[in-house]
Amino acid sequence: MIEKRVTVTNRLGLHARAAARLVQMANRFQSAVRLERLDDSVTADAKSILSVLMLAAARGTELSAKAEGTDEAEAMAALSDLFNNGFGEMESD
Amino acid sequence: MTERSKRDLSEERWRGLGVSEGYVIGRVLRVDNGNRQVYRASLDEVEIDRELERFQQALMGARQQLVAIKAKADQELGPEHAYLFDAHLLMLEDRNLRERVEDYIRREKANAEWALRVVTDDLLAAYSSVKDEYLRARGSDIEDVAQRILSALTGNKPQYANLARDAVIVSADLSPSAVAELDLQHARAITTDAGGWTSHTAIIARALRIPAVVGLRDLYRRTRTGDMIIVNSYAGEVVLHPTTATITSFQEEFAGREKPAGVATVGRGSGPLRTSDGVGIILRANVELPAEFESVLEFGARGIGLYRSEFLLSQEGVLLSEEEQYRAYVEVAQLAGTDGATIRLFDLGGEKLHAGFGGERNPALGLRAIRFGLRHEDVLRTQVRAILRAASHGRLDIVLPMVSDLSDVRRARAIIDEEKLRLAKEGSEIGDVKVGAMIEVPSAVVLARTLSTEVDFFSLGTNDLVQYMLAVDRGNDEVSDWFRSLHPSVLRSVVDVHLAAATAGIPTLVCGEMASTPAYAVVLIGLGATNLSMTPSAIPRVARVIGAVSQKDAHTIAQMCLACATPDEVEQTVREQFLAYWPQHFATDSLPVAKRL
Repeated sequence: MIEKRVTVTNRLGLHARAAARLVQMANRFQSAVRLERLDDSVTADAKSILSVLMLAAARGTELSAKAEGTDEAEAMAALSDLFNNGFGEMESD
Repeated sequence: MTERSKRDLSEERWRGLGVSEGYVIGRVLRVDNGNRQVYRASLDEVEIDRELERFQQALMGARQQLVAIKAKADQELGPEHAYLFDAHLLMLEDRNLRERVEDYIRREKANAEWALRVVTDDLLAAYSSVKDEYLRARGSDIEDVAQRILSALTGNKPQYANLARDAVIVSADLSPSAVAELDLQHARAITTDAGGWTSHTAIIARALRIPAVVGLRDLYRRTRTGDMIIVNSYAGEVVLHPTTATITSFQEEFAGREKPAGVATVGRGSGPLRTSDGVGIILRANVELPAEFESVLEFGARGIGLYRSEFLLSQEGVLLSEEEQYRAYVEVAQLAGTDGATIRLFDLGGEKLHAGFGGERNPALGLRAIRFGLRHEDVLRTQVRAILRAASHGRLDIVLPMVSDLSDVRRARAIIDEEKLRLAKEGSEIGDVKVGAMIEVPSAVVLARTLSTEVDFFSLGTNDLVQYMLAVDRGNDEVSDWFRSLHPSVLRSVVDVHLAAATAGIPTLVCGEMASTPAYAVVLIGLGATNLSMTPSAIPRVARVIGAVSQKDAHTIAQMCLACATPDEVEQTVREQFLAYWPQHFATDSLPVAKRL
């Protein structure tokens, strides 16, 4: 299992579009991927959009990401890329 | 006599909220949101497998529909709106939803419709408890997806594919997928009984540039398809069964206007924005991403009041070259037009600006913003050169973030002057750039008078000012009760800063997000602000309110607020006084509620 801290940097937080990208990404891997809010320990299955949205993670929220499985390193790399580039967002809404 | 003509067809008017501008005379097309009543059936043991299979089939059917809708939305609304259906597709495929429905069918021996209803209601209850307003609103997406599965289970789906050319869509509440299924190229206007400024209907109508009025309460059930209707979003008004006289006067009123653009703009054809007693107010845009540029013009901003340049840096530790920055700033200058743009120098901590920069224990109070630029002059000089060069293509100003006193200003100005000289020697064309200070650190508020003598303008950053003034981390829920934009100390700071600037004869721009809430914008105006910058989409609603209130009344209320001892008292005062002065312009839920009374 690997674990890494990530921060939500895009302006609208983990809203529908960002959550959709995250879930699409997580589903490409065999590994289980979970996210946990560092401030209140709410956790989410990164492969479930309903679960990810419930994190209600606004910009600036710090999360602990955990990946476990045969491709955990690749899954974690893809996940931190997504967070680091702010989910590739170019839109204002 | 036919059935139809027996109805009372006398003219009726509704008032709502115009969320996408324009006016239209057309005919009603009623669109129901297709929500279905669901009943419970009890299954025999042997029927359960068949029911699970039925649910599977419905998911597949719903999926096919959504894929088709997404393709259509992609084409008609553009990818930036079609993304929503990616989220819907993922909800449809969500294990969380599917497994819970299947479990319920097995455990309760219930039909799929009922199981889906129960599970969806559970999820909706969970979402309605989320603190974030945007995410709370995502409940409507879940409901939309549930309705799609339900319609796949029952095998019927609404069809409004071929709209007449003058169709005005009238609905109780349009779900996003219902909107996307419509033949939007032919829709002339949209009205809904529910909805607000950020509803999907509003967003999509603005994207389509057709007028929309929402919040019409009971219009839907009072109409029939084919009824004559006028939609005038400038006045937030809908007229059903207009008389010939009304239609004529309406046509005359709008005959001189330019073609509606479908977006709300400020002061179109009516000159600059003024309060009802004639005080001129300038609304500018806070911008960070290129995609927002277009909306600056659409929403009628007078230029860009705050360009958050750090958003150019998409990757940690990777800085843009002078040439790359130059191109970006030229784009900003051209977009802003004659009103110009104020570029805030990188407002970031070292960890973002410099690869390998060590972490800080307290980054909000650390080496960031202008402090970082003064420590790492190469970064500051590159940015300054790019801005100076870009300013030859349009009006650009520089604002220094996180200034604590004059020494920050003097050091930064010296560097700017040196680069000016150097560029001139190199033969580069440069523009005239004013240099202002962000007032967001308490020491800068206290020293506003001395600062005002050596800068060209002030930018009051309310977000950071509140955080630093009250020593409250706005990202920390534990202390959210202490984060109060309407704190008496904040209000006094706003007054002091404006007074200092006025004495020195320099302008003050209030550019925190506080200004984007209409009630707060009015408080700021009462405190002396005339120059506000905000998220572009907030401009029309703030402008509408400002045009309706007088500066004198706002000032009277602001004086009462300044006399308050606690933020609760201020919030209570704002709430009571706004409702007393302007009940028609402020809904009770748009006003602050005292938290700790």
